[in-house]
Amino acid sequence: MSINVDKGRPQVHERLRRLLFLVPFVAKNPGLSVEEVAREAGVSREELLEELDLLTLVGRPPFQPDDFVDIYVDDGKVYVELDQRLSAPPRLTAAEGVALAAAAALLKPAAGDALTGALAKLETVLPPHAVQRYRDMAKTLDVAMEAPDGLATLSQAIVERREAELDYFTAGRGQTERRRVQPHELFSHRGLWYLAAHCLTRGDQRLFRLDRIASLRLTDARFDAPAASGQRALPGIVDAGGEVRVRFEPAVAPWIIERFGDGAKALPDGAVEVTVPGDSERWLTRWILSFGGDAVVLSPQWAKDAVAQAAAASLHSM
Amino acid sequence: MERTERLLDLVALLLDAQEPMPWGELRDAFPEDYGAGTADSAERKFERDKAELLELGIPISFVPADDERAAGYVIDKSAYYLPEVGLTPDELAVLYAAGSAALASGAFPGRQDLAHALRKVGFFSDEPLPAPKVRLELGGVADARELPARLEALWTAINARKSVDLEYYSPHSKALTTRRVDPWGLALRRGLWTLVGFCHLRAAPRTFHVHRIRALTVNAQKPRSADFEVPQDFRLDDYVATWPWEFRFHPPVDVVVELSGDLAPLVSRLFPGQASQGERAQVTVRATDLDGLLKYVLSLGAFARVLSPPQAVERLRAMARRVLEAHGGGAR
Repeated sequence: MSINVDKGRPQVHERLRRLLFLVPFVAKNPGLSVEEVAREAGVSREELLEELDLLTLVGRPPFQPDDFVDIYVDDGKVYVELDQRLSAPPRLTAAEGVALAAAAALLKPAAGDALTGALAKLETVLPPHAVQRYRDMAKTLDVAMEAPDGLATLSQAIVERREAELDYFTAGRGQTERRRVQPHELFSHRGLWYLAAHCLTRGDQRLFRLDRIASLRLTDARFDAPAASGQRALPGIVDAGGEVRVRFEPAVAPWIIERFGDGAKALPDGAVEVTVPGDSERWLTRWILSFGGDAVVLSPQWAKDAVAQAAAASLHSM
Repeated sequence: MERTERLLDLVALLLDAQEPMPWGELRDAFPEDYGAGTADSAERKFERDKAELLELGIPISFVPADDERAAGYVIDKSAYYLPEVGLTPDELAVLYAAGSAALASGAFPGRQDLAHALRKVGFFSDEPLPAPKVRLELGGVADARELPARLEALWTAINARKSVDLEYYSPHSKALTTRRVDPWGLALRRGLWTLVGFCHLRAAPRTFHVHRIRALTVNAQKPRSADFEVPQDFRLDDYVATWPWEFRFHPPVDVVVELSGDLAPLVSRLFPGQASQGERAQVTVRATDLDGLLKYVLSLGAFARVLSPPQAVERLRAMARRVLEAHGGGAR
């Protein structure tokens, strides 16, 4: 894993926290390369070497030779000989616990039981004196996401590299098909969730929309880690339906400008115009309707028709 | 001796000690640091070190003398070491996926804390933890460059209960105001971060969209003492609108909404707190923002409709008609 975070806290605090983790981590995983350890600790190679230099000075009075932490690099690999009782990292702080619990809540409610179980266990590993603070602090961070069904299951499939079987609705064919996939990555884009996976049924890398997965099952078959793809730009979903031009009335213009920045073109009457990808008719229709008449599709015709049709259907149902 | 080094030495010393370590022995152990200067200044230096360790969650404390032993400082070993968390693979997977997604999104407060927490929960895992594979869009605004730094600063201020000075932009008035705020908490709703706190300018609790904060300074005076207390009964949920029909400070209206077709099974997700009821579900929603509710219902499509009160039905009809006409459909 690689966890890199911009540095904001006072130096001493962060360094101490890192070093108290580093010694037990290397002791538990001897012989990892300098690069691997640096990645784990969220620092550069140079920073790690500096930290190792500092650690060789650490020990306990009276500072006899055996009283020092003995951590060293041999042939590019890192080892600990004497850990000076730094055999496991400190427990989670209240702030660490709250940050993790809040992040976990991002996958709520889809995560269900696994999340509830994980959070209950998390509370048991806080230091006893930090539990109350954790509960107080938990009130200071509250996240709600609309996580779709299947997110937790697919996350698990990705982490454990397990193949999944899903019934997938293909709009082009207008029917549901069973697919077997090796899930690689999940991401949200404009309110929709996508799964990037290797589709064994089609023998190709494919994108799946989570809202089109009718049912989902994890198998016990494991697959090898996919080749690192890095942070790809959004794959070919964006151009599929061409661009859609939308006009927003002056009443909602300030919020649209905030949301789209320079992408919002000011019109002479105080309205603004925005261009969005037309990859999802359903998303587009819902989005336009949610402005209750303050958003109007200018082009293309199919998008105007889709919105008109949806509005007519609503009107008809009343 | 460098401070980081001294603090680590102190941890190693106290983790190894069998008995509480009296102040005198600590002074002797670190003659250059605690032995130099006046007794007062040395003790203050040690107190600062102790505070730093406590902040990191290290359970260092002073135990008074009893029949068996002298008074002194200890680190409670059972409270220090992280025990095996015992997470099942799917529990670890969900924590890991969510945590790494939050980190990768860039716009999450407490990212340092979160990164450390993930390392710790993964410590006992024998398999290497994978790279982040879930990506979230958070902070849904065009200009989010400052967002991570603002969230991190607010997180620090909330934890230490320090006041912040804000320059805040309002899209209503298109004006900047400067105000002091006691930050009580942060909430994420529909991709946007909201700060809730006591606003000294308005002398009342207020909410602020974090992306509208143009400048932010945390009060640097007395970093270790709190500037304010958060009210005991504070709940973020009382201040941030989770749903589009909440919080416009209008008198509440009870609106009956019916969901049918493929929306019926989703009733508890579309309207939280409402139970599923079969093929046609009717829910009563107490709306403080009627238009917000009606736009939401409209966006759900033809399987969602409003049954009462009549003026809400009429308003929704007018809204749908307006959309239809604007998109080239005739009035029906």
